[in-house]
Amino acid sequence: MSQASTLQAPERAWGIDRFVVGVALAGLAILGALIWLETAPFLLALFGVGTLLGGALYHGAFGFTAGWRNLVTKKRGAAMRAQLLLFALTSLLIVPILGSGQEGLIGAVAPVGTSLVVGAFLFGVGMQLGGGCGSGTLFTVGAGNLRMVVTLIFFIVGSVIGTLHLPWWLDRPGVDPVSLIEGFGVPGAILLQFAALGVIALWIDRVERKAHGQVERDEWKIRNGDKGILRTLLTGRWPFTWAIVALAVGSVLTLVIGGTTWGITFAFALWGAKALQAVGVDMSQFEFWTWDYPAMALADSVLVNVTSVMNFGLLLGAMLAAGLANRFNEASRKRPEGRQLLAAVIGGLLLGYGARLAFGCNIGALFSGIASASLHGWIWFAAAFVGSLLGVWLRPWFRLPN
Amino acid sequence: MQAAYKRSSVILVMLAILALILADHLHSPTFAFNMGQGNVETTLMQRDGAACAPCGAPCPSSRD
Repeated sequence: MSQASTLQAPERAWGIDRFVVGVALAGLAILGALIWLETAPFLLALFGVGTLLGGALYHGAFGFTAGWRNLVTKKRGAAMRAQLLLFALTSLLIVPILGSGQEGLIGAVAPVGTSLVVGAFLFGVGMQLGGGCGSGTLFTVGAGNLRMVVTLIFFIVGSVIGTLHLPWWLDRPGVDPVSLIEGFGVPGAILLQFAALGVIALWIDRVERKAHGQVERDEWKIRNGDKGILRTLLTGRWPFTWAIVALAVGSVLTLVIGGTTWGITFAFALWGAKALQAVGVDMSQFEFWTWDYPAMALADSVLVNVTSVMNFGLLLGAMLAAGLANRFNEASRKRPEGRQLLAAVIGGLLLGYGARLAFGCNIGALFSGIASASLHGWIWFAAAFVGSLLGVWLRPWFRLPN
Repeated sequence: MQAAYKRSSVILVMLAILALILADHLHSPTFAFNMGQGNVETTLMQRDGAACAPCGAPCPSSRD
């Protein structure tokens, strides 16, 4: 009897949320079948990659926003160093692919100028008020966080407004994209980026050591707690190293299968524009929606838009992961009150507007930009970090904990 | 422990999202093409190598 109890105990402790897991799997099956039947196999593959990325982001708790905030308020840098490791690994994998000159592969390169700096700064403020970045907003919504649903709705609104204003911002001072691969070659670009990432890592170490006397090397951990590997894989929480490898591999697969680097926020603008179009607004009166790619995306199904398809996979992947961890909607037990909701609204608007002006979010511009050795990724990093400092300073007024 | 969500709400939200996706798809050129209309332009491949940014924005140097 006691042996039976002992055997049953771990099973109860696992506590999978069968309903949420079932709904997520049904969603994956239905949408996957629709994509398979109506579009092309490569989009189904990207849908699968999105699902993997959603699971990795959730189980790895790989939020850029909290990592930046932890460095500023708690003087702990493990999460930020994990991000730098992710940039380094992805850069090592993607720069040679892009540098090979293979036709049909496009990196995340974008102009450098006023639009980028202003947009990234606003995005940085929005990250801290909205409670997440592009990927963070999406995976927490997938995990059922109600406050982040508010952030996402206004992220979409801000994105659409950003598309209306982007042409004006592009006419402010700026220069064409600067590719480090073109300037320094593949080895030069990788070495230059490693050097820059190393300098930032040293600065983070210095901040942490000064505050705590030592540096916690959580970013190098390959095991978390005493749970088995399979159980940790399915229910989390993953060590940073697992999330780094999964995100890097997912990013490379996105480029190889889809032909472009991973992005998230273009789809938000697209969904908002489609909603406006559905209620009779002629989006072709706005310059942004006359450019080839946005016009094509607006005219056709979301199921043939790579970013949308990957976002659907990411949402369902995060939902599946939250169900497996038995934590779906857990963050919404305490309902957000007035000022916290206001922060979600303002944060969402800034995130959306900033992402359009800055040619993407922490994924499309920062992560994929640096992985593509584009100068705009580095400028995005700096401007968004400064904006994030302002956001951290504003958080207490909105009753958000630091 | 009390569930943090209502099952009916989760199903309703999922169905609403699926309905929106379907409504968008059923009015698209890709669906028309799949239904046998040959004179529609679908956009399965949307990569725009001529653009200056992932969102399709033109280069600053190309603007007046």
